Amino acid sequence: MSDHTTDYTIVGKRMPRVDSRAKVMGKAKFTADLILPGMLVGKIKRSPYAHARILSIDTSKAEALAGVKSVVTGKDTEGVKWGVFAYTRDQQFIQIEKVRYIGDEVAGVAAVDEDTALKALDLIDVEYEELPPVFDPMEAMVSETELIHEDFPNNVNVHVNIDTGNVDENFEKAHYIREDTYVAPEESYFQAEPYAIVARFDHEDCLEIWCPNGGPHMKSKPLSNAFKIPLHKVKVRKISIGGAFGGRSEICPVDYICALLAKKTKKPVRIEFTREENTIATRQGHAMITTHKTGVDKDGRVLARETTCYMDGGAYSSTGPIATSVPFLSMEQVYRMESVRYNGYRIYTNKPIRGMIRTHGRGFACGLDIQLDMIAEHLGIDPVEIRLRNCRKPGEYTSTKSFVDSCAMDETIHKAVEKSGWKEKWGKLPPFHGIGIGTNSVQTGFPMGIRGGSQSFIKFNEDGEATVMSGVVDNGQGNDNMLVQIAAEELGLLPEDIHLVSADTETTSSDPGSYSQVSTFVGGHAVKLAAQNCREKLFEVAAKVLKVKPETLAAKNRLIFVKDDPEKSIPIRKVVRISLLNFNSVNAEGGYWPKVDMKREWVKNPYGQMCEAFSFGTTIVEVKVDPDTGQVEVLEVTAAQDVGYGINPLVLEGQFEGALTMGGQGGMLTEYHDWKDGRCLNPTMLDYKLPLACDMPKINNIIVESIDPKGPYGAKEAGMSIAMSAAQGYSAAVSNAIGVYMDSFPLTPDKILAAIKNKRDQDK
Amino acid sequence: MEKIQITLNINDKLCEVMVYHNDTLLEVLRDELDLTGSKESCGEGVCGSCTIHMDGKPVRSCLTLAMEAVGTKIRTVEGLANGDELSDLQQSFIDHGAVQCGFCTSGMLMSADALLKNNPKPDEKTVRKALGGNICRCTGYAKIVEAVAHACNPQDDCPDCKTDSKVRE
Repeated sequence: MSDHTTDYTIVGKRMPRVDSRAKVMGKAKFTADLILPGMLVGKIKRSPYAHARILSIDTSKAEALAGVKSVVTGKDTEGVKWGVFAYTRDQQFIQIEKVRYIGDEVAGVAAVDEDTALKALDLIDVEYEELPPVFDPMEAMVSETELIHEDFPNNVNVHVNIDTGNVDENFEKAHYIREDTYVAPEESYFQAEPYAIVARFDHEDCLEIWCPNGGPHMKSKPLSNAFKIPLHKVKVRKISIGGAFGGRSEICPVDYICALLAKKTKKPVRIEFTREENTIATRQGHAMITTHKTGVDKDGRVLARETTCYMDGGAYSSTGPIATSVPFLSMEQVYRMESVRYNGYRIYTNKPIRGMIRTHGRGFACGLDIQLDMIAEHLGIDPVEIRLRNCRKPGEYTSTKSFVDSCAMDETIHKAVEKSGWKEKWGKLPPFHGIGIGTNSVQTGFPMGIRGGSQSFIKFNEDGEATVMSGVVDNGQGNDNMLVQIAAEELGLLPEDIHLVSADTETTSSDPGSYSQVSTFVGGHAVKLAAQNCREKLFEVAAKVLKVKPETLAAKNRLIFVKDDPEKSIPIRKVVRISLLNFNSVNAEGGYWPKVDMKREWVKNPYGQMCEAFSFGTTIVEVKVDPDTGQVEVLEVTAAQDVGYGINPLVLEGQFEGALTMGGQGGMLTEYHDWKDGRCLNPTMLDYKLPLACDMPKINNIIVESIDPKGPYGAKEAGMSIAMSAAQGYSAAVSNAIGVYMDSFPLTPDKILAAIKNKRDQDK
Repeated sequence: MEKIQITLNINDKLCEVMVYHNDTLLEVLRDELDLTGSKESCGEGVCGSCTIHMDGKPVRSCLTLAMEAVGTKIRTVEGLANGDELSDLQQSFIDHGAVQCGFCTSGMLMSADALLKNNPKPDEKTVRKALGGNICRCTGYAKIVEAVAHACNPQDDCPDCKTDSKVRE
């Protein structure tokens, strides 16, 4: 905490974002806006079958079409398979033997224009032998038909087992036990920007590639593996990114296909996904069936919990082991449990691939909180009180042995309760008018081995401005501004003096990306340390000129001055020039590597320090339900999060508001995918119901600061704890309004009406 | 199919451009005229990211044929600022943190600009209704609604409005 002071000039302020001017002028370039000389249009031939063997592919007619420059199939690849871990590499970049979902990549075409490329796709003859598909994870585990991947028996892709011991003994001791099952189907990201890629090979045979990404260094390594070229030959470039929400975390097979077409044609190639492709062929959120069995003492404290979760993983592993763990981790972080046993199964089905998502495990988390409310009712305790009795406290260890340093979980509850008027409303609202609370915790980081740290470089230019280099990527959440704010604060410059070079693998060091919520905690931290090192160099030079000791100096507003005698000062620009005249350039580096347990592994050893910090969020939601239509009107949402420290409250509020819109308003009321025989029936924005401006309620944001001792200025993750707790708050509020504890999410009008009718029938 | 030459009046400039009969206005703006501020997000007229003004009215350029735009006055997001000088609405978007990823921003601005031209001091409900055809996935709309409502009607109690009294401070 030694680092903490409120005496900052630039951090902690409501600073408008540095990237917004270009965006409001329409000047910011996104991938699909790029036009390179001689650029071709690429298109992907996708499988029409959910499960089929590829007998033959004939591309001769497509290749003969005028304007077609290249057609690639699985035979053209180096045979390298994709998977986040060595033990999950199960996906060819272009399928060669069989296809496993409707939309699987079978061939790629590059042509002079889109019409020609589309015509060429129709001219590719693929002969398939249909195989029996499985779409339901519970059926997939017992199906006797051909396995989706032959080396995964029962179609079980990942099994995570966590057992802290004493679970059965503690259930014996429990005063009250409940066991309930909760379900939720898949949801999608619907990033505003449909996925797009531009790739070319330059004059030195280096691959240059632009695409939305959750971390450029997470793209470059798999591409270097796939093309069997050194890492420095893959240059992932910076480009504006239209949202990620977890869905841009990994390499996409089409990154490879686009690059392969560029290699074959020796021309730049651009591939733009349609909205349908973005939904089907990037990633989705997992469907889940979760059973929580919870045993509590007479005061409602959780003595034992056993959770079993079946996750529909779709056709390939993706981030499987992580995705199978995160819902559990969020639970064990937010709630203390004396003992817990978790079995998470990720099952292959012949459906699109599921990956990381901002509201990971809505069925899991909402079920947990709904059950807690049921237990509270049984024991005659208020839902707030049962959370306060079970919620995480600072200085504790999670069930899987992560030390929790900063934690203001209870403060987020208290503040949200006060702001929302909970005490005046709970139990006192008229029929079909309800209030509910959700609490959650998200990890600031995952153990990511050698890619877990970030390093930044800073150089001063002779005009006194600074160039900051960082591998951090901005998906839209404001990371660029975060880096500029930190650098300006530490260097004593103004934000406009900082020139940011980021998210480019040629010029920046490895960085974990925005993946795992560590951009500020790790990447921002690295910039802070680099800037501090750079400032030290400036102070040494300035100290000589001012004839004082370096430690007496401070920097602010482009000046270096003596702290006790601010009139005694020198412009930073002058210090840089003096330094250069003395044969020294002013530059520095700084790096940050979170001290996680490197032996912790998702499946083999899920114990040990997970990350250095955890964020905590509470959302309270007030709703009215129309008993005749099942429509939910949301009156007010109060979101409170322990973010560690609010580097930019303006940006943080935007994260809260966006998170609760996706997690709560959309995630709990309208958003889900519908299927028929493995085909997604609502892949477009017309059919998939996203929240609109006119749907949104009044929002109260509460930023809670616990000042994490490791985070830069004390900052941790922001936003995701709100997305998760909002889902829980919404489901609790609707349940409270209709007097039925809901177990199937999202809470669409049909389910609400059925629940009301059921209750009326029972009450009779 | 043959391309034909048409003249479009875009952001007060006459542009001669070769188009196919079935080219959408969005395709022509983006691919022929390099006005890539207008975005394609849904491709079916749902999301509003491609909103432009045709004779002052907001329209979806993905559902409008380029041929239909002949003889009208088109304004795109690139035409909102006066050179480097931003409009009040653009500045308000920046000041209120209404821009996150920025992909929907152009369309939002065009819908909001059309509203403010008729009603410079709209209440919150009016703003929300006027933006009902523009999907934003990042912001939850709160800051966008505020930015539009306050663009021509700065509020003393808003921490993000640059009102005169604050400038004097």
